Amino acid sequence: MHVLVCGGTGCQASASAQIIENFQRILAEKGLQNEVQVVRTGCFGFCEKGPIVKIMPDNTFYTQVKPEDVEKIINEHIIKGRKVTDLLYLDPENKEHVSDSKHMGFYRKQLRIALRNCGFINPENIDECISRGGYEALGKCLSEMTPQQVIDEVTKSGLRGRGGAGFPTGVKWGLCAKNKCDEMYVICNADEGDPGAFMDRSIMEGDPHSIVEAMAICGYAIGATHGLVYIRAEYPLAIHRLQVAIAQAREYGLLGKDIIPAGYPPSASRHRPGPRIRPAR
Amino acid sequence: MAKVKSLAELKAMREKLQSTLDLREKSNDPDSLVQIKVAMATCGIAAGAKQVMEHMMEKADELKLGIVFTQTGCMGYVFGHVDNNRADEILTKYVMNNEMVEGVIPVNYETI
Repeated sequence: MHVLVCGGTGCQASASAQIIENFQRILAEKGLQNEVQVVRTGCFGFCEKGPIVKIMPDNTFYTQVKPEDVEKIINEHIIKGRKVTDLLYLDPENKEHVSDSKHMGFYRKQLRIALRNCGFINPENIDECISRGGYEALGKCLSEMTPQQVIDEVTKSGLRGRGGAGFPTGVKWGLCAKNKCDEMYVICNADEGDPGAFMDRSIMEGDPHSIVEAMAICGYAIGATHGLVYIRAEYPLAIHRLQVAIAQAREYGLLGKDIIPAGYPPSASRHRPGPRIRPAR
Repeated sequence: MAKVKSLAELKAMREKLQSTLDLREKSNDPDSLVQIKVAMATCGIAAGAKQVMEHMMEKADELKLGIVFTQTGCMGYVFGHVDNNRADEILTKYVMNNEMVEGVIPVNYETI
């Protein structure tokens, strides 16, 4: 059994760290620590109803859980297999409790692409990321594609910036690649200046490896050797998780000098110290 | 940690690691999978449900069947009498070939 507890900023502000601690302590007291895995995930996207606790495999979605509810969840749900109805999401329209988030109006129509791993993996564990295909796109680019092919593929995909201008990413990368200079940087603007927007924070906190991987791909495509992520100081958790992700990627040899491919291309920019973090002050 | 040196190595790593997230992957879409609920109330546990469930989970892994196992409360039947051999039969006959297993469901019922 897996217990996923949201460790995003929203849920952490309402005691999700204490919830995780209680799960670990009470499960250990009952000798269940090896049968039930407690995982701190990124944001589920439903902060309004946080802290969120999800129990798998029956995909039960508990909302607004308090640290003192943990014992009840363990005793009733985990040990006896009875869901704790009071903590299930209450559908605002028909006033019925919904147990599986898939059937909640909020999630029903969602198809998550960039946020697919948020709330599913432990963002501080690179193995969980790899088991969902993390870094394979980078591996593919480095060993099977030329930088120009990467740029063409991104252009063909129709990917565009979300900053308002909607500038085509492939065109941007193509222009950068043409600009030859001694030292090129990939800069990820994670400042998220738009009021009330938290999607960048969600990705950084919930799936930081996807950013590291994407920046490395971009670096390969345009011939950059360094990366910088610009994050605001108000996002300490995002900064921490990205730093962990970068360190893990380096340790695995997925970031840094002479990474992955031996093949193609023979000499082009295989020299990537990888992103550094610059919090804005 | 040894460094990842090729795409093939990365893919091999993924295969190996996949089992750690298997439970979560499966529960992401439980409706598309066979679900087996084992009644694990006091009566069920006393009758050996825990051992049977563990046995079934191992066997299902061995047969590479994608099954979601959950435990439920008392189903109201303190019979059914599924033991390890019966459990194997349920997996190989019913789950794999859709054949009913004789003697497990009370005679008057086709399903529970």
